[in-house]
Amino acid sequence: MSYGLLLPELIIAASALIVLLDVFVKNSRGRFAGYVSIIAILVSLILVLKDGLVDPTPYFNDTIVVDSVSQIFNMIFLVVALLVVIAGVAYTEDKFHPEVFYSLLLFATLGMMIVAISNDLIPLFVGFELASLATYPMAAFERERRGIEASIKYFVIGGLSSAILLFGLSYIYGVTGTTNIPQIAETLSANIMKPASLLGLIFVVAGFGFKMALVPFHMWAIDVYDGAPHLISALLSSASKKMAFIAGFKVLIVGLIALRFDWYIGIALLAVITMTVGNVVAAIQQSVKRMLAYSSVAHAGYIAIAFVVISKSLEHAEIALAGGILHIFSHALMNGGAFILASIVAAGVIARAKPGEEDNLENYAGLGKVAPVSALLMAILMLSLGGVPPLFGFFSKAVIFLSAIKADLLWLAIIGVLNSALSLYYYARVVMYMYWKDPVLERVNEPLLYVLPVAIATVGVLLLGLYPPTYRWAFEAAHTLLQMGGVP
Amino acid sequence: MAGPITWILLVLLVGAIITFLTRTLQQARIVALISSGIALLISILMYLGYESGAGMQFRESVMWIPSLGIGYNVGVDGLGLPMVILATLISFLCVIYAWGEEHRANQFFALVLLMDMALVGVFASLDFFLFYIFWELTLIPMFFLIGVWGGPRKDYSAIKFLIYTHVASLAMLLAIFAMYYFNGKMTGTYTFDMIYLLDAYSRGMVPISPYWINLIIGGMLFGFLVKMPAVPFHTWLPDAHVEAPTVGSILLAAVLLKMGGYGLFRVIIPLMANPDASTRFVLVIAVFGVVSILFSTFVALAQKDLKKLVAYSSIGHMGYVSLGVAGAVAFGTSDIPRILANTGAMYQMFSHGIITAVLFGSVGVIQHATGTRIIEDLGGLTKHMPKLAFIMLAGFLASLGLPGMSGFVAEFSILTGSFPQLPHFVLLAMFGIVFVAAYHLWAIQRALFGPYNEYLGDIHDIAIYELIPLAILVALIIVLGTPNPVCNHLYHGVMQPTATHILSILPEGGLL
Repeated sequence: MSYGLLLPELIIAASALIVLLDVFVKNSRGRFAGYVSIIAILVSLILVLKDGLVDPTPYFNDTIVVDSVSQIFNMIFLVVALLVVIAGVAYTEDKFHPEVFYSLLLFATLGMMIVAISNDLIPLFVGFELASLATYPMAAFERERRGIEASIKYFVIGGLSSAILLFGLSYIYGVTGTTNIPQIAETLSANIMKPASLLGLIFVVAGFGFKMALVPFHMWAIDVYDGAPHLISALLSSASKKMAFIAGFKVLIVGLIALRFDWYIGIALLAVITMTVGNVVAAIQQSVKRMLAYSSVAHAGYIAIAFVVISKSLEHAEIALAGGILHIFSHALMNGGAFILASIVAAGVIARAKPGEEDNLENYAGLGKVAPVSALLMAILMLSLGGVPPLFGFFSKAVIFLSAIKADLLWLAIIGVLNSALSLYYYARVVMYMYWKDPVLERVNEPLLYVLPVAIATVGVLLLGLYPPTYRWAFEAAHTLLQMGGVP
Repeated sequence: MAGPITWILLVLLVGAIITFLTRTLQQARIVALISSGIALLISILMYLGYESGAGMQFRESVMWIPSLGIGYNVGVDGLGLPMVILATLISFLCVIYAWGEEHRANQFFALVLLMDMALVGVFASLDFFLFYIFWELTLIPMFFLIGVWGGPRKDYSAIKFLIYTHVASLAMLLAIFAMYYFNGKMTGTYTFDMIYLLDAYSRGMVPISPYWINLIIGGMLFGFLVKMPAVPFHTWLPDAHVEAPTVGSILLAAVLLKMGGYGLFRVIIPLMANPDASTRFVLVIAVFGVVSILFSTFVALAQKDLKKLVAYSSIGHMGYVSLGVAGAVAFGTSDIPRILANTGAMYQMFSHGIITAVLFGSVGVIQHATGTRIIEDLGGLTKHMPKLAFIMLAGFLASLGLPGMSGFVAEFSILTGSFPQLPHFVLLAMFGIVFVAAYHLWAIQRALFGPYNEYLGDIHDIAIYELIPLAILVALIIVLGTPNPVCNHLYHGVMQPTATHILSILPEGGLL
């Protein structure tokens, strides 16, 4: 048996330990750890892309399966990790024990990748916890009050939601007698066994709701994204949150597809409330970081539409799932890039910020003159978040809305579209500040290590929507996922 | 091998990118001039190679996202081709007109080229998804043109323009999705192909309830009427025009508004042919048309700002397009007036494009020279700006519908052609014509003639780079307004066959 397909995970795991040797490298200040991480992530990413859409390959008694779903999600996680690590090399230079940053980041990525490849509730939960435990201390990496507060909040809520999730999963296990996800699907479709399975379902939805930051389980996410350092927020909202979605896809869709009529209304309500609250509150934020935090809540609402469509009509499940996966991908790029860019504005590298108001929208005034490259990248990312064609954010959102219309959920699509229109207002506002307001500073040199990851994300946003294989990947992954759940 | 439409799009896109990267004003405007010139040249060659008659020509079709039925599908007919030429012509002349633009010149010219590309894309797309992408893409350059180079209230105007028209487009997008979905559900082929979908819906081959087909038409119509704009959805337009730079106003009024009119011909008429569609939409469009004509006329009478006056005149002229479309689809015993109305409405789109460009261009010159656009502060400009006065007078006369100029041909065709079907509406619209003439002549009299307002100081006449594009347009207005081979070919050879073809899907005698 060849373990070649698990090589990316092994490389990340090994490098997570190797980077700790940074303390022994003279005058490294995290640079050694940074470069090792970049290389490890790049190599893993290349391996994932090289294998591409593989046929489902089981390992370890079918507890782990590498398939097109895991490949596409691993790619998303690795891309986000890569963006954060590149910016991290500049960021950690003057920080206390920089190697910890990389080690935790790689462990978090590893956890997410394990979630993506797991086919069983046990490794799924282990991966979930690994990623969560690694990100709790990262939020407090700067060791200042706000970060620590965010970290503690994140830890408490994260622990609570894990407990709720585990409690729900225990019901599922109790009812079906197995932790293997396809077997759960098989058992439940043969005999639904209410109400115990229903009770389990409610806890699972609540547990994942916390992780996905769906309203009303979202409050922690705002505080954490706002309080944590920008790069960590990028990782949390672009990768860690997406892990909750893949876990949700696996457990809810694959495992609990037999119960789908019971979660249709609940998830529909969650989706509507999530996007509406996210967008309305984002529109009144004066801090760009909080705006991004709320907007990422709103985008979770769009993605949740995929769950609604699947539960409403299995016929259109494939396109809905593909839309969800596409939007997860596009949002990871857009949001990751935007948070990284916000970090250099807040740090005062390309803008002058008043203390305590580092993230104020005012700081973006005249960025088009002060830092033209950064401003252009940010403008493209903002417009893509707002769903302006021909950017990736438009295509992915359009596929989701299309699936809603296909499933006779016109009302949901209309609410989504209205939300999207509202969101354009606050995204466009950032663009207005950057280009129309007078700058406070002279032209500055833009830090390459920060601009490069943003540029990578922006190029992805510009091209991926127009590139047909993106859709083939997403549809293929959606197809595989549904097959696992026993959908013809 | 890529066809001419793809080449136009590519030349403009590459030109926009190169222009954006240039360092100096000189480089920026020369690159912009060359690429918009090439685009214009290709579109003129297309026109010369266009075979008279109906049907799409210069078609290109490549599957883009097969799993969703989205294709790169382009082509033009007698409706799209004049619009493509209008877009490339106006953009080319705008580049010349803006020759002296120094503020962020590279970005300015890049946005003009990007706008040009998006507009050509809208008029040449034969795939609904592609159409929507280009449709939305036009918003971005205009948003920046207003926002960066605009007047004092640019923030408000730009965001109002963006959100207002974006919401309308989203209504259209939902309607597109609904068309796509029902067709796929009923026939099994999920496709965004415009020709295929419109054909299927116009013949009623997609059996859906009248409720849905009316909802689809309503969504589409909302998207188009906001863009045209029709009263009462017009409020974004005067704000956008007042704050936009002159080139932005020219592009907005001359080409961007035509997207709404284009949608009426391309999408709404075929959809209304659906046997289940409510025939009341004919009345709806006619009412919007007449209300736009009358309302804009009276509001224009009261305007103090010359640019706002011209903006309202645009609303009125686009009202004629709506009226012509309504007259063309309404029930009539003979097909001849209906075709006349439809051709006239199509001619009006082109004619208004070139006329309004002259108007906004000359208002821009006045503002540049005197620093004001308020009619009361002007006066006697003929003394100091004789060349401008000539151009502007020609533009205003064309706008009020003087015979011998293109606007007359168009509006005469619309009114004559619509009269047998919709006599009451035409009478109401004709009632407005008196006041149209009144506000044009009154404004001209106060601004150009009479005693010179000495407070304006010693002002210079129109610059040569502003004069050339406006003079070309005035010449074109006269060429298209008098009987000659060029005008005949455009009217009878290009537009009329397509107008006939578009109407041929409707039931015998029209709707109602």
